[in-house]
Amino acid sequence: MKDAKTLAYINLFGILGALENLCELDEGAQELLRGKKPISIGITVKDGPSATLTFKNCRCRMEEGCDKCDVKLPFSSCEKFNGLIDGTTTPIPSKGFTHIGFLLKQFVGLTDILTKYLRPTEEDLKDEKFFEISTKIMFYLITVAISQIANHDEIGKFSAHLVPDGIIEMSIKDSVGATIRVKDHHFVTIKQKPQSYRSAMQFSDIHLARDLFDGKVNAVACIGDGSIEMHGMINMIDNVNRILDRVGLYLA
Amino acid sequence: MSFPTYKNDKSSELYARATKVIPSGVYGHLGPAEGQFIPVQKWPRFSEKAKGAYFWDVDGNRYIDYMCAYGPNVLGYGDPDVDKAALAQLKLGNCTTSPNKIMVDCAELLVDTVNSADWAFFAKNGNDVTQAAILTARAYTHRKKIIFFNGFYHGVSAVVQKIDYPGILPEDVANNLYVPWDDIDGLKKVIEENKGEIAGLIAQPYDHGNFYDNKISSKEFWQQVRKLCDDNGIILIIDDVRAGFRLDLAGSDHYFGFKADLICFCKALANGYNMSALCGREFLKSTVSGLSYTGSYWMSAVPFAACIACINKMKKLDTPKLFREMGTKLTDGLVAAGKEHGFDLVVSGAPALFYLRIANDDSMLLHQEWIAECVNRGVFFASHHNHFINAALTDEDIKLTTEIAEDAFSVVAKNHPEIPELH
Repeated sequence: MKDAKTLAYINLFGILGALENLCELDEGAQELLRGKKPISIGITVKDGPSATLTFKNCRCRMEEGCDKCDVKLPFSSCEKFNGLIDGTTTPIPSKGFTHIGFLLKQFVGLTDILTKYLRPTEEDLKDEKFFEISTKIMFYLITVAISQIANHDEIGKFSAHLVPDGIIEMSIKDSVGATIRVKDHHFVTIKQKPQSYRSAMQFSDIHLARDLFDGKVNAVACIGDGSIEMHGMINMIDNVNRILDRVGLYLA
Repeated sequence: MSFPTYKNDKSSELYARATKVIPSGVYGHLGPAEGQFIPVQKWPRFSEKAKGAYFWDVDGNRYIDYMCAYGPNVLGYGDPDVDKAALAQLKLGNCTTSPNKIMVDCAELLVDTVNSADWAFFAKNGNDVTQAAILTARAYTHRKKIIFFNGFYHGVSAVVQKIDYPGILPEDVANNLYVPWDDIDGLKKVIEENKGEIAGLIAQPYDHGNFYDNKISSKEFWQQVRKLCDDNGIILIIDDVRAGFRLDLAGSDHYFGFKADLICFCKALANGYNMSALCGREFLKSTVSGLSYTGSYWMSAVPFAACIACINKMKKLDTPKLFREMGTKLTDGLVAAGKEHGFDLVVSGAPALFYLRIANDDSMLLHQEWIAECVNRGVFFASHHNHFINAALTDEDIKLTTEIAEDAFSVVAKNHPEIPELH
């Protein structure tokens, strides 16, 4: 029911892409990068996605493609790359052996912290700050995964072909927001709120968002009681909700 | 004129109770999560009572109801003639071992009323009969594929759902073919590509989907569809569950000048008493007889009595004509009220099933705001669904509706000083 290529896109742009948010939100992550020279790590997956993560000034930025990078990690298939995220594949750089130290220490350190936020324990979530960072990172991951599923998953593409052009806002009130830009049924997620939108799905607060992500509350019931608000072109939201159903499948 | 706004506190309390014991509180098309109540806080979630063209919610607010229980309220809630017939039948018997004789009377009346009906097969919901129609087409032709026009809704069986719906497998919809409305060339192409494999084509009489302007098909379109089906041995199924008896008492196929092979009815059949009917042509009667398809309550007698009374009263009142006139009067009034405040209200579909959209912006935000303000003052509209006229609606109701709508337009205009055309 889920395919390796779509998962690879989610793993690269969603999971590793979350390093951008981690470095912005978590002091420990920033500390790991402090004093380090700028470095870029390119990841290229045969018949799949490619992107470059650039670490500079204690921050991380991801861009599509990996033509210019200091370290290059090639993967022979989507399955092999997905193994990196599962911890079953060890990457071997094809370029930038002198930067292996960064990969082994800083990069692994960052992904370890990220894993804590993405797979938190109940105890971790009792810490208010941890809760907030974890939920924000999850939010961005989910909004990125929506676009990847819309563009690559066969059933996701069916939902996407029913979505008209325009901007969809997904947001948590008084917290984070994201833009999903739809053009000719192709989805792009931008990790910031749009200035205006054609349709919107807004969660009433961060606790509700967390409960939804953890499957503790039902989205349909939340729409019913108004804790999730939908506005604008409902057929956009309706189909995004169908894609959202598949996000759980891929992120499980 | 300025109208007071409603509070929905008891509705909200009851909804909170409901979510504890009922999945999503109110599930399905009557529920607040269907994208028809935006924002949900402005809509009642539960009713207390209903009469004529109105229902009252649990907070005691009265609504002029233009959703009509999503169609079944065709003569007015609690119509005295229909209720009298139903209650009389209840005293005689309802769900019995041998079906009550009134079932035959009901079938005969449908055959006499519906142009394409040589027989009637009864069930409970629209979905029961759309599914029966698809089974019949497959059983008769020994083929597996079914053509749908895009934007369709034919119930909730797996075969008529979509591949991305929860619980639906790709295999469930593997034999479905999709064609845009009014695209004869596209239809020809699909038929050519699947020659000898297509069992049926199922369609509503015109494109009355949600979230977009409804579009009336031409008689010429239907003539071409009919011919293509005849030439290729395809069973033509009309899903008249929503529009049935509101356009034409002889069936919407009759309204558009053709004859369906199978036609599905439900909503307006019995003024709220639960029944549906599949009607069809003689050559398919034997196939329907052979279906393994039944239900515990499908031959209950009370709805048959209600159906007979309802059809006879619709004939007496000539409800299609009445609905056309009332729908036109109402929507003309709404458009004029909108114009007063700079709103471009677009009305589409048949007047009996009018669909509304404010076209000033492309996001529907103004539209949703206006609809919500109408509901909050006692006119029950849905955000993005066709509406329904019922025979209990009066000229006074229409006048009050346009006054409330005008008030709602003025409120929305005031909320948006940034939009020049509204001032």
